[in-house]
Amino acid sequence: MRVSRSGPEIVLEFADGESGVLRSLVDQYLEVVGTDAGADPSHARLFPAAYRDDDAAAEEFTRYTRAGLVDRKAANAAQVSLALDEERVRLDPDAAARWLPLLTDLRLVIADRLGIRLDDDEIPDTAAGEVYAWLGHLQESMILLLEET
Amino acid sequence: MQRMAVVAQLVERWLVVPDVAGSSPVGRPILNSTQSDADLETFLEVAPDVPWVTLVWNDPVNLMSYVSYVFRTYFGFPKDEAERLMLQVHHDGRSVVAIGPREEMERHTEAMHEFGLWATVAKASDS
Repeated sequence: MRVSRSGPEIVLEFADGESGVLRSLVDQYLEVVGTDAGADPSHARLFPAAYRDDDAAAEEFTRYTRAGLVDRKAANAAQVSLALDEERVRLDPDAAARWLPLLTDLRLVIADRLGIRLDDDEIPDTAAGEVYAWLGHLQESMILLLEET
Repeated sequence: MQRMAVVAQLVERWLVVPDVAGSSPVGRPILNSTQSDADLETFLEVAPDVPWVTLVWNDPVNLMSYVSYVFRTYFGFPKDEAERLMLQVHHDGRSVVAIGPREEMERHTEAMHEFGLWATVAKASDS
């Protein structure tokens, strides 16, 4: 993967198979996000309780915000998935900015599966751990380039 | 990543079937640090009439650069202030990023959740 700037645009050039992996992850993410509230353990982090010590207030917050958050996260992910039809993806700054929350959410779900809970938890030396680190590298690279604007 | 073609097969259905990658017990996020309430107490002294805050909590997943980016682009903090708040989240476990009426703090919290940050609302006096 190569991440670079071309004028105002961010250009992502994926190596063999990378965009396919990302698309697969995004498709699975859409299922995870869209499934019933609480049905997936990662929901605790994708949709955290907004009140730590007030369950009633937290439930009310969820009632008013959950559907909208699910819709917007899913719409954002669907847009990214569309862009992945090319091995070379050109993104204007606004489009690039929409990738960042998705990359974070993907990492949140993977971290849940990998049992990464604390700052000192190590990323396992597995394919899943490699994907987790790769997503972080992609996100970091995009942020650095966006900051140049 | 060179092994991506292999990885592609491994990760198929992997996110939606948690057990494949080794599932995890429920009941997080875990708060792993104890913080002083000094920041909130300072707020109370200077703004006694405004009783709600939005807090952002540390997590092991989000990159420091991303947290700082969100603080800059969403709240419009200057770079230095965004960095300071991000470091406070990282080192102290949390930071107050907004103070004001409850509805507004809930709106900020919802926005943080959309960004994937772990945010909560609290009454300043209770936090």
